Amino acid sequence: MTARPRPPVTRRSLLRGGLGLGLGAGAAALAGCTVPGTSSVNTEPTVPPAGPDETVTLTYWAWLKELQAVADVWNAENPRIQVEISWIPGGNDGGYQKLYSALAAGSGPDLAQVEMRSIPEFMLVDGVVDLGRYGIDDYADRFDPTLWGQVSFAGGVYGVPQDSGPTALYHRPDLLEEVGAAPPETWRQWAEIGAEVRDAGRFMGTFPLADTSVFAAHAMQAGAVWLSAEDEGWVIDMAGESTLEVARFFDAAIDDGIVSTQLQPFSPGWFAAAAEGRIATLMSASWGDALLEGVSDAEGKWRVAPLPQWPSGYGSAQLGGSTTAVLANSAHPREAMEFAVWLNSSAAGIDGLIEHSGIGWSANPGHIGAPRQGGSEFFGGQAYNTEIFAPAAEQQNPDWQWWPTTQQTFNVLADAFRGKAGGTSLVDAVVQAEADTMEVFREKGLTIRRAAR
Amino acid sequence: MSTTTSSTTTSGTPRPAGSPARGPGRRRRPAATAVAPWLLVTPFLLVFLISFVLPILMAVGQSFTRVERRGLFGEEGVTSTFAWFENYRLALEDGSFLASIGRMLLFGVVQVPVMIALATVLALLLESAAARWPGFFRAAYFMPYGIPGVLATILWSFLYVPGLSPIVDVVHSVTGVEVDFLGSGTVLWSIANIVTWTYTGYNMLIIIAQLKAIPAELYEAARVDGAGPARIATAIQLPLIRPALMLTTVFSIIGTLQLFAEPQLLAQVAPAIDSQYTPNLSAYTTAFAYNDYTVAAAQAVLIALVAFVLSFSFLRLTNRRS
Repeated sequence: MTARPRPPVTRRSLLRGGLGLGLGAGAAALAGCTVPGTSSVNTEPTVPPAGPDETVTLTYWAWLKELQAVADVWNAENPRIQVEISWIPGGNDGGYQKLYSALAAGSGPDLAQVEMRSIPEFMLVDGVVDLGRYGIDDYADRFDPTLWGQVSFAGGVYGVPQDSGPTALYHRPDLLEEVGAAPPETWRQWAEIGAEVRDAGRFMGTFPLADTSVFAAHAMQAGAVWLSAEDEGWVIDMAGESTLEVARFFDAAIDDGIVSTQLQPFSPGWFAAAAEGRIATLMSASWGDALLEGVSDAEGKWRVAPLPQWPSGYGSAQLGGSTTAVLANSAHPREAMEFAVWLNSSAAGIDGLIEHSGIGWSANPGHIGAPRQGGSEFFGGQAYNTEIFAPAAEQQNPDWQWWPTTQQTFNVLADAFRGKAGGTSLVDAVVQAEADTMEVFREKGLTIRRAAR
Repeated sequence: MSTTTSSTTTSGTPRPAGSPARGPGRRRRPAATAVAPWLLVTPFLLVFLISFVLPILMAVGQSFTRVERRGLFGEEGVTSTFAWFENYRLALEDGSFLASIGRMLLFGVVQVPVMIALATVLALLLESAAARWPGFFRAAYFMPYGIPGVLATILWSFLYVPGLSPIVDVVHSVTGVEVDFLGSGTVLWSIANIVTWTYTGYNMLIIIAQLKAIPAELYEAARVDGAGPARIATAIQLPLIRPALMLTTVFSIIGTLQLFAEPQLLAQVAPAIDSQYTPNLSAYTTAFAYNDYTVAAAQAVLIALVAFVLSFSFLRLTNRRS
């Protein structure tokens, strides 16, 4: 064997071709390309409303199911402004990626479902319209002030609150009674009961290491404000005392085996464990009710109680929550805003969203939704919405704000939390995540300083 | 590609170096035959340029750009500047990104040889004279390749998740050991298992194609010389399928660095998989979750460079040895 089969394209010719092509066109491309999201829609003149005999068609990208049924209610009443829904995957599971690339390409829908926590991230790429310039302030009194605070930045309003997730304690009364306990009123009691539940071979709850929004909700309830936007820049207080207290508490709960770190709530493994009766309590939001019904053979076994309390802080916290945002490339931002206000604050809109799309907690405190008034069979007849979640929605941390790198901070924190199995503590992770977040801000050119403490 | 091959074959006649080709009329062809190939490849070239070359150039350009914002969100102004290698510095300083490349190297060093060896053994077995129903088994081994990676991962995840997995249950009841397929130390090999399951049959098919190209006289000659099946495999088949083995290995090395769908999906059930578990996941997260397109572009260029270096050094290594 002397002749070796030769590849059809020799390496040399490939290299030569690639180099020539690269050098030649590279210089031209370098000069011509711009990075997406670096021009501002909110400094351009506002778009005037459509004429009286002009028909406007709006597109709304959202991951709510059957949303078109709700939009059709609006479409029937407003022949001039027609809304078409396109489904996208939820948030960071692919929806945002679609939105970001559409924005980067200079297109995209008029409206998009954007989580409360992601509004600042969309602001950073100049993806959302400041609705203050289109008169949204006239409608401010229809919405929950806490949620309104989370979409308002630097004098502007960047999304219409759609739903939120006030948290409470889902629990199995039978499993608690087994150790002679009632639903705990403080987190300290929760841990004490948890030790006995553990001895009975169950978990008191779970602490997901990978989904740090749960940890953020605990810190929010304890009164922490991780980042706040001030005139001279961002102020970070992630490793403040209230957060560290929560971190120490769950460090101990994990070390004592009271909580599972493996079973992420509503993951297949968690559902299996819950069906076997190995989970006694679950801190989750109002939207957790529908998911809980997916636990096999759980009918009538679960109840809802107010969240246990930290020594200071608030009665409840917020886990999840979305907005309807008007995107930068919309040709009709005023009409889009009108639809968004109707969808999220009118009785017809909210009831439709609950009935068809199963949204979280209504953003309008005046109307929690007709379907949420009575008792629930799954929860043994408990009228948990009016009894537990309506008060919880009013006991929120009003100072909490989201920031332009929320997802990155959550990921950084999750990466640090994963070290818990290898011996580092949650407290270390929080301190580390604070430093990393500051670094990320500085790399983007944003001003940030650590809070005085 | 096609133009290169044709030009190498037509101008393949050796010519003294330095003397320009001035053969009378040899080079002159009617205009139509000169233009026709270009006309025919234009549709391909256009799509190739727009969807392949241009995006690559843009990514390279962005990897040298830096975006500076002022104010809380950049509302007071955004500037783009030429940044030299600043984005590359940021990408290389990112421990998680480097760790993801290291993780894929480890993955490749173990998974690629195992898969290629497995594919070779299967191919040799199916091509041996004693094989029963080779057509059926060839199709059966190839079938996993027809299942999209996403579905394969979902299928396998049901065999991995504790509480759902019959494997975990059976192992637990037989040995008392609680196997954890999704732990931080094991999940990489759980992914390797999915990838091996998917691509072994595909690689096997490439090798079989090359085996079928071996002339029958060689087998006859070997048998006349008294060679058994094992001797035929080592002395005839393995040396002659070297090109196929090299091809499949290079493809596998590149594929390893581009691993994306399997870890992305498995992350839903495996907390040990973080947002930067593989290089491609890292670039994807940086671009579309963190909106940092410039650093993501630098990461993408680095991934391509590593893939180039690995593939070419593998080719060089194997070429030198022969």
